[in-house]
Amino acid sequence: MIFPAEDFFADAPRPTPLYAAVASASEANLWTSVNGWTTARIYSSVSGEYETAKSAAALADLGALARYAVRGREAAAFLGRLTTAPAVSLQVGESARGLMLDDQGHVIDLAEVSRLSEDLFLLTLPTPHARHIALGARGLDVAAEDISGQVAALGVFGPQTAGVLAAAGLKSASETLAASGILRGVETAARPIQFGAMPGVELIFPKEEALTIWERIMRRGAGAPIGLDALEILRLEAGGPRPGLDFTPAGKPGASPRTPEELGLAHLAPLDRGWFNGRRALRALAGKPRRRLISLSIDDEQSMAGAAVLQDGKPVGRITSCAWSPARKRIIAFADIDAASHGNNYEISVAGPAEGRVPAKLFETAESALARVFAGVQGNSTDFRR
Amino acid sequence: MSNQKNPIGDKDGREKSKTSAHLIEGGIDAIVIGAGAEGLAAAAYLGKAGLHTVLVGAGPEIGGRIAAREIASGVDGVDGEHLVTVLDPEVIAELDLYRHGLEFAARRLDTTYFFESGNVLRFDGDLAQAALLSLDNDDDCEALEAFMGEVLEMSAFLRPAFRPFAFPAAGDQQRKLEKALSGAAPEMAARLRQYLLSSADEILRNRFGDGPLRALLLAETAFRSAAAPGEPFSFLSLLRRYAGEAAGLQGAAAYPKGGAVSVIAALRRAAQAAKVDVRAATPVKSILIEGDKVGGVTLADGGQLRAPIVVAAIDADQAYLKMIGAGLLDIGLQRALTARKPEISSARMQIVLKGVAQDDATRRNMMRRLVYAPSPEALTKAFIEARAGRVPERLIVEAVFPTALDEGAALDKRQLISVMAHPLPFDAEPDAARREAIRTAILDSIEMFAAGFSGRIEADDLRLAADEAAAAKANPAAYAAKPDVLRQWALSSAVTGSGGIGGFYFCGPEAQIGAGLSCASGRAAARAALRAYRKGAA
Repeated sequence: MIFPAEDFFADAPRPTPLYAAVASASEANLWTSVNGWTTARIYSSVSGEYETAKSAAALADLGALARYAVRGREAAAFLGRLTTAPAVSLQVGESARGLMLDDQGHVIDLAEVSRLSEDLFLLTLPTPHARHIALGARGLDVAAEDISGQVAALGVFGPQTAGVLAAAGLKSASETLAASGILRGVETAARPIQFGAMPGVELIFPKEEALTIWERIMRRGAGAPIGLDALEILRLEAGGPRPGLDFTPAGKPGASPRTPEELGLAHLAPLDRGWFNGRRALRALAGKPRRRLISLSIDDEQSMAGAAVLQDGKPVGRITSCAWSPARKRIIAFADIDAASHGNNYEISVAGPAEGRVPAKLFETAESALARVFAGVQGNSTDFRR
Repeated sequence: MSNQKNPIGDKDGREKSKTSAHLIEGGIDAIVIGAGAEGLAAAAYLGKAGLHTVLVGAGPEIGGRIAAREIASGVDGVDGEHLVTVLDPEVIAELDLYRHGLEFAARRLDTTYFFESGNVLRFDGDLAQAALLSLDNDDDCEALEAFMGEVLEMSAFLRPAFRPFAFPAAGDQQRKLEKALSGAAPEMAARLRQYLLSSADEILRNRFGDGPLRALLLAETAFRSAAAPGEPFSFLSLLRRYAGEAAGLQGAAAYPKGGAVSVIAALRRAAQAAKVDVRAATPVKSILIEGDKVGGVTLADGGQLRAPIVVAAIDADQAYLKMIGAGLLDIGLQRALTARKPEISSARMQIVLKGVAQDDATRRNMMRRLVYAPSPEALTKAFIEARAGRVPERLIVEAVFPTALDEGAALDKRQLISVMAHPLPFDAEPDAARREAIRTAILDSIEMFAAGFSGRIEADDLRLAADEAAAAKANPAAYAAKPDVLRQWALSSAVTGSGGIGGFYFCGPEAQIGAGLSCASGRAAARAALRAYRKGAA
């Protein structure tokens, strides 16, 4: 699950259904707006939150993401068309990741699809796409209801997730299978998610019950809330590109559109899968990337988003997002570079008092490992390891 | 024409008009869906290139919306088109349509324009000569001569751009147009740039002030277009009208012997000569898509025809939304199809008149194309009214007398007049009251230049877009008036892009830029299919 870029210019963001709970847990009182919803950046400290997620269980308010309940006889066909996720072949309880592409095969957004019952799916998107969804549903027996804002969404992840949920009496929430049902009188759905490379569970329940469930989990004492800044480190470590930051979604003003391959996400849109929107155009673009989004680990200690990436002294791209990784003891970053550049001898041009260049190396993330395996299966292997 | 039988039985004597249920038929190279002019042209091209081609039409008749029909006792009329203005001369030449029986009873028809003020102007059928006729004012004469020269030169230059498939990818229109302009002489490029963006009203007001020439050219611009002459890009409509060719004459109007059905008959003979297997009354249920390629079609009776090429010469709603299905279409293409909301359409009316012409002037006029051009103000008002769903008071009327133009169609002591009127509100399901209102408006507009006309009517037959669609078993919206040329380019490139499906080609009404019987999109679709076929075969 990945948050989209913050919308700094939104006026008066709305409180998420969990706002009252997360506000009382926030010591730092640092907030931002995502999709127009108030979202905590830091609760106590970034490193503390990061450690909690790595060693125990972290709770994240996911209310800012867009959610749709998709019902109907042709719900699976609709989702298979709208996204590249293999909705048709999902069994009840299964989830899949995918991409939303436009007609030209360019990435509009990331998507996650969970099948809750034969004809009920949950669609989760980083940003809302009401119009695109409405257009895609035309002519199909399906109804996509926007439930963002009507439900509270709480992400629990980290090694102790199962224990925390069990202690809170939410035994049926599983890290592998999505389910919906009544938990202690509250109608909920639970689906597996990944934050960074860590498995977790997303609990979705009516907003009226937000505080009850939050309190029930918090009182068992094993979890601590995590804000957007710590999540950003986990995301960069896992190698998931963030819409609006690492790429501009197709159709947005000023977008220079990217194909799945150019984002290192070709494995999310395999051409041998059933029909999805943009597949025919994508077939013509396959194997011809113009840009590449790569994960770099940089021998430096200061943040440098926007800095130029050089190869053999020539600029080949720029850093799109970066953060200090406690695990790697380095700055890790996404860089959007010219597809023609290759090898592993990158340099980052550093501005400021310590002007100069610092070396940067590719590193393998959970996502790029999937892309490598996929490319290998396709007979087109690219080795990201050194 | 109306007595022409449907082809039953091929040379083996096997009955072909019915495919037995659940039979899968192979060995076919190409299937063309839709037995209208474009479908026949496409099938003839494919067959001529040596492909085993099957043409399937939904209805029992070949010809689509263009068909002969008895409109009054003993009087046969022709539905669809009454004149040929934009028939592609290359189709005539390449399919050898003259050898297959195409004949023009009258070509390069002169036009007589009637105005609200009571003025009358006559134009030579050769538009380059138009200024030499019937203009008293020398200044007007010079202005018109210079203007016609420019317009004909620009239309000729833009002719390739008005062909379907001119712009293969969506969004490329601007670039292609710029590229085309860079090939023009600097002076013409500058003029074209100015004209492309301008409204017809603006340009004509500057050139001709308030005279009848402005009313005349505005009427020609707005005729059969949904773009009112005051709207941006509307001048392109006139350029496109004059870019069309009939019998090799730019901007000319011609009357085929036997009416527009004889064009269909010639196309059909061309298709038969090319060994096309024509099957009427064979409705298609769905188009088979396998992977990203077309696999053939499923027929309504459950049978299946398999072929690597399918050309759809039916309206886009049927082809894409019904036969392929929304679930297999790109969302953008589906939106382009469902976002259309036609507001304006034209109407055909065929009227049987009692008696014969008494004086020479009338007799001469009956050999011409007659156009009633309302004043620019009345025309603007008419478009506003029609958009609001009301029947306008004054209409542009184009009238011809098939019985006078074509000796073979002459009637005893009666005359047949065929009228096309524009602009009218588009109605998918017009009721009786609406029909009566339209009928009255048309007759009133004719009365403006032929007083006492209504008293001689023996019978009349009104045909709206919805009627044509019903006859061709099509979506009525496909027969509404086309929007401005820029929007047509966008829609045309979207539908002719085939949604990216390999082996599938589209040449339905949405592919064509502008109105009229053209065959250019059938030709373009067939040629695109042949290119791909040869590439695959090589």
